[in-house]
Amino acid sequence: MQSFESVGYFPDRRLATAVYLAQALNRPLLLEGEPGVGKTELAKVLAQITSRSLIRLQCYDGLEQREALYEWNYAAQLIHMRAAQAERNAEQIEQEVYQSKYLIRRPLLRALETPAPGAVLLIDEIDRADEPFEAFLLEYLGEYQVSIPEMGTVRAQHQPITILTSNRTRDLSDAIKRRCLYHWVDYPERDRELAIVQNRVPELSAQLSEQVTQFIERLRLQPIANAFTRSPGIAESIEWAKALVALNTLELDPEIVQSTAGVIFKQRDDVAALEPLISDLLAPADAN
Amino acid sequence: MQLGDARTGKLANNMIGFGRALRRAGLPIDASRMVLAQQSCVLVGFDQRRDLKAALEAVLVSRHTDRLVFNELFDAFFRNPDIAKQLMAQLLPQHKAPTEPKRSPRAQEALAAPPPAQANKPNEPQTEEEIKLDAAMSASTQHRLRHADFDQLSASEFKLVERLAREIPLPLPKFKARRLMPSARGDRLNWGRLLNEAGRLDGEVLSLPKQRRRLQPLPLLILVDVSGSMERYARLMLAFLHQATRHLKRSVYAFGTQLTPLSVAFEQDDTDQMLLHTNALIADFGGGTQIGASLEDFHQNFRNEVIGRRTLVLIISDGLDTGDLSQLNNQLNWLSKQSKQFVWLNPLLRYDQYAPLAGGAQLLAKYSHQMLAIHNLDSLEKLAQALVNVTSKPLPEHK
Repeated sequence: MQSFESVGYFPDRRLATAVYLAQALNRPLLLEGEPGVGKTELAKVLAQITSRSLIRLQCYDGLEQREALYEWNYAAQLIHMRAAQAERNAEQIEQEVYQSKYLIRRPLLRALETPAPGAVLLIDEIDRADEPFEAFLLEYLGEYQVSIPEMGTVRAQHQPITILTSNRTRDLSDAIKRRCLYHWVDYPERDRELAIVQNRVPELSAQLSEQVTQFIERLRLQPIANAFTRSPGIAESIEWAKALVALNTLELDPEIVQSTAGVIFKQRDDVAALEPLISDLLAPADAN
Repeated sequence: MQLGDARTGKLANNMIGFGRALRRAGLPIDASRMVLAQQSCVLVGFDQRRDLKAALEAVLVSRHTDRLVFNELFDAFFRNPDIAKQLMAQLLPQHKAPTEPKRSPRAQEALAAPPPAQANKPNEPQTEEEIKLDAAMSASTQHRLRHADFDQLSASEFKLVERLAREIPLPLPKFKARRLMPSARGDRLNWGRLLNEAGRLDGEVLSLPKQRRRLQPLPLLILVDVSGSMERYARLMLAFLHQATRHLKRSVYAFGTQLTPLSVAFEQDDTDQMLLHTNALIADFGGGTQIGASLEDFHQNFRNEVIGRRTLVLIISDGLDTGDLSQLNNQLNWLSKQSKQFVWLNPLLRYDQYAPLAGGAQLLAKYSHQMLAIHNLDSLEKLAQALVNVTSKPLPEHK
């Protein structure tokens, strides 16, 4: 926990426990949560703490094995074949062509081949990839080995610490969830958010950063009736704090909130819904 | 020996009891998970309750939906040793004993069944008890409930039926989207892949890869009547649709005397939570019906929901309208022209001789492309089938 904080990441105890267990039990850790609560950040920080290298696989719709695992460098192979055509026979050429220098290593394979102390493998937004890819991943996460027909099996020298993140645009299959430990990343409570904002935007005065976190916390606690389409995450708080610094703000007032609302909310409806609430959200803060 | 003393070796037993309670609440927990849970207990230790809780949560929970239930069950199982205090409080007449915390229905159900952790008795009576529990939902009951009208169920039956309704799948019709996907049975050549492969093979074309248009489910617009006559059906349909259309693009509105957008509540994962929020959102639950005025509100403020004549509109109502009929006429005309299919789900179809005679019902019958029954579980299952047939039929002529 302290090592997390030393690099400017403030996890709650639940998250720290989950990370510890993932390491101790050698299981991948699946993080879910609203956008902007620091899921991806965790992997980066974890790599920094354990001084492992971070290998990131960004998932997207239509991601294929050859983009995630490995691919032969066909063009280079072709050139080599042409050049060698005159002197050598087919068998020799074949042997030469399937060498590791013609193999383009993609993140999943690189994670296996990373020398000690191993890698932190971040499989980001896995919900974006399609289900066949998930099935393939299942096999990979179970064994941490990959077989390349032309070369043989590659086994992990040092098992990577694997972090999967998902924004829940769709449910993941139960099979992959069974392989993983699961953690739901919540919005941080006020003290933790305050620490984060102060750490990230040290230029912001203590009083103002307190106001910022209080304002954001109240926003998130709005009753469901006038809830916004999307609550602001930590990323938004930090952005907002930076914006306030850029504007040389000394204190939050309705005017400045309104003119910077675009940083907190990215939807027209939400900005409009914020307007009548501003004075309510600010008023008790002054009383404190 | 103290109660709850870890040295007595009850812990493994208790853990299994906890796991079974979670399973009863619907969490997918198998034996290997339990082993993992025990391992993690040993790793984390028992000094800190919150650490233990975090550890068990990381291992046993795998869906956001289940977190609430987990929290409540954990608190119920691994209580502070405050029970003694509570008992003391009960002895004192002037002091009110703290009441049991309010739990969500799922957690309550899981706790209501006998907790096996207390099983110090021989095994046999316990298994008998469990069999009795299963028997509560025998085949004949299921058959009866399948065909029972929602309005005629007792409170407990209604609860059970509502649970059952959540399990009914509802595959929605699909349409051809703009984007393409590779497919062996496609109807056009995949030129990109063809050239790619030819390039690899030194310019030889050995196969002709095909592609076709991707299929996407139709966007769904649900309008639920929450007036007095529809109260029970509305609640049940909301629960059913919430689960059945979980992964689809949907927008939900309730109407009685006014229009209430429910999409915020539908973002909740847990159906019970969704219903709670819905209750809080709808100001006129169980009131009158003014379909015309509500639809006009929809037309003015939310018409972007039905853009492109692609939406499947489900209107759930009995058509007993007390509002202005010419207004309703105009609005229904507009809505049915904007939608791909305009389906009227009518609970009154339970009567064999039903004919839409009331003013509102006549108009609904005129403009809807289909009228389907939704008064019992059986009809809900047929609904799924009827909706799939929607796109295979040609679009009806508009009057």
